[in-house]
Amino acid sequence: MNVLVWLAVILLVLMIWVGGKSGARSFISLFFNFGVVFFTMFFMLDSNANPILITFIACIVIGCVSLFYINEVNSKTVIAFISTMITISILLFFIVVVSQKLMIQGFGEEEEEAIAGMSLYIGLDFVKIGASVIIMSTIGAIMDVAISIASTMHEVFKHTPSLSKKELFKSGVNIGRDILGTDTNTLFFAFFGGYLALLIWFKDLHYSIGDIVNSKIFSSEMILILCAGLGIALVIPIASWINAYFLVRTREKLNKVQREEQ
Amino acid sequence: MNRIRNITTLQWILFLILALCCIVSIAFVNQNYSFYDRPIAKVIHTTIEEETDVTDMHGNEDTLFVQQMVARIMNGEEMGREVQLVNEYSSSGAYDQQYDIGNEVFVSIDSKVGEELAGSITDVKRDKYVLLVAWIFVFTLLLVGHKQGLLAIVGFVINVIVLSFALDVYVKYYEVSLLVVCGICILLFTIISLLLVSGRNEKTYAAIVATLVATVVSLSITSLVIWITSGNGLRYEEMQFLTRPYHTIFMAGLFIGSLGAIMDVAITMSSSLFALYERDHTISVKALRTSGIDIGKDIMGTITSILFFAYISGSIPMLILYLKNASPVGFALSMNLSLELARALAGGIGIVLTIPIGLYTAIFFIERKRARI
Repeated sequence: MNVLVWLAVILLVLMIWVGGKSGARSFISLFFNFGVVFFTMFFMLDSNANPILITFIACIVIGCVSLFYINEVNSKTVIAFISTMITISILLFFIVVVSQKLMIQGFGEEEEEAIAGMSLYIGLDFVKIGASVIIMSTIGAIMDVAISIASTMHEVFKHTPSLSKKELFKSGVNIGRDILGTDTNTLFFAFFGGYLALLIWFKDLHYSIGDIVNSKIFSSEMILILCAGLGIALVIPIASWINAYFLVRTREKLNKVQREEQ
Repeated sequence: MNRIRNITTLQWILFLILALCCIVSIAFVNQNYSFYDRPIAKVIHTTIEEETDVTDMHGNEDTLFVQQMVARIMNGEEMGREVQLVNEYSSSGAYDQQYDIGNEVFVSIDSKVGEELAGSITDVKRDKYVLLVAWIFVFTLLLVGHKQGLLAIVGFVINVIVLSFALDVYVKYYEVSLLVVCGICILLFTIISLLLVSGRNEKTYAAIVATLVATVVSLSITSLVIWITSGNGLRYEEMQFLTRPYHTIFMAGLFIGSLGAIMDVAITMSSSLFALYERDHTISVKALRTSGIDIGKDIMGTITSILFFAYISGSIPMLILYLKNASPVGFALSMNLSLELARALAGGIGIVLTIPIGLYTAIFFIERKRARI
C-alpha cells in the first residue's frame, strides 16, 4: 500500500483514539482544507483571474470551515473571522509590494533542473501567485491566534465584566504574547525542515554569504518566514482591539436597554 | 517606583542599541558594493525595444519583451563606467523580470569595444530588501510581543546558528550520519526553544521530555511505514536541491519540520496541567487526565492545520507550472505533493501522539512534585 494512505489511516485512528468525535471532525476539516487549496490552485490556472482575489475568497472559505464548522457560529468565531481577514488584507498588501521590490517571484536558478523542458511563458502573474502562497502558508497560524484571543477575552469579560476597553485590549495582547512564541516556532521549524535540502546544497556548493542572501530562492524563503512571523504578530493587536470594541459595545447596549426598562 | 524607572531605562537603552544597529546595517548594505567579487551595476536608463505576443505549444498566451538598459558599474575595476545590458522578460515572470531605473543587479561583462561595455544580468542584488523586511519583522515583534517577542527572535537566531553549525559539521565530515547530527540538533532546539518560551521550571522540563519522547515515537512510526511499504508512493524525483542521498535528507527534514508543532503541543499541555495543579494542589489524577484530553482535543485540529497549510501551499507554483504544461492532474499531484503530504501527515501523527505523551509526562512530574511536598 501507499505510504500516504498508511500515514493518513494512522493519523485518523490516532485522532479518533485521542479526540473521539472531535478528532474525527479535525481530520475531516484537514481534508476540507486540502480540497480548498487544491481548488484555489485550479482557479489560478485561468489567466484572466486575479490570484490575489482568488486567495482572498479561498481564505474566506478556509475561515468558514475552520472557525464555523469546527466551532460554531457565535460572537467569538465571527470576531476571530473578521480579525483574520483584516490581518490578511494588510499582510497581502505588504507582501505584494515586497515581492515586487525583491523580484522573488517564480523559480530560482537552483530549480533550473526541475523546470527544464517546460514552457515558462504561461501567461500567469507569478508575483501575485507568490503572494498567495505566502498568505496560504500562514493562514492556519493567524486563525489560531485570532480564535485563541477571542475565546480567552470572552472568558475574561465573563468573569470581570467591568473592565474598560483599554484593560480588555491589554489582556488580549497579553494572551497573544504567550501564543506568539510557540506559534512562530511551529512555522519556523516547518520551514527549516522543508528547506533542509536547500541549506545542505548551499553548504556543499560553498556559497558565500553574499551569494546566499542575494539568491532568489533563499530570499523568497526568508520573506516567507518573516511574513509568517509578521502575520502572527499583527493579528494580536488587531484581534484584541476588535474584541475589546465589540465587548464594550455590547455592554453599553445592554446597560442602555436596562436603563430604559427602569 | 524606582524599579519601574530602571526597567524603562533598560528598555530605552536596548531600543537605542537596536535602532543604531538598524541604521548602521541598512547604511552598510546600501554601500557594500566593494565587498562583492561579482560586478554590480545600477540601472540608470531603460527602454523597451520589442514586444511580441507568443503562444506556446499548450496554447498559453504570454507577452515577451526585450528591454535595453544602461547601467553604471558600482564596484571593481570598471567602477563608474557605463555598461549596456539587454534583458528579455515575459509578463508572467516565472524565471525572468522587468528591471526599473534604480534596480541593482549582478552583471557579467561580456565584451569591451573601446569605451563601450556590454554585459548580461546574472542576478539581482536583494540584500537590502531582505534586511529591511527583517528589521520590520524585528520591530513589529518587539512592539507587539515585548519580552516574548524578543525571546522569539533570540530563539530563532540561536536555532539558525545551531542548524548552520550542525550542517557545517555534516558537510565537512562525510562519515558523520545526518540522522545523528539531526538528533543532536533536535535535542538542542527543544531545550533552547522551550527554555526561552517558558523559563526554567518543572513544566518546561515536562514539556522537553514529552517533546523528545513524542519525536522518537513518531519517527519510529513513520520510518516503519516507509520501510514496510518500501517508500511506495513517495516521488523523490521532484525533491530539489539534492547533493546527497535523498532518503536521509527527507527524513531529517521531516523531523525538524514537525518539531515546532510537537513542542507547541507539549508546552501547551504541560503548562495548562501545571496551572490546574497550582490552582488546586489536591486535584486527582483522574481529573487532570480528563481536562488534559479536553485541552488536547481543542488544539489538535488547529495545530495540524497550521502544518498542513505551511507545507501544502509551498508547492502551488510548481503545480501550476506542471498543469499549464498539460501534465495529467494525477501525475502533477503525485510528483509535487507526495513528499509535502507525507511531511504534513507525519507531523500530524507527531502532534496527536504528543497529546497523551505530554499528558502522562506532565502528570508524572506533578506527582513527583506532590510526593516531595
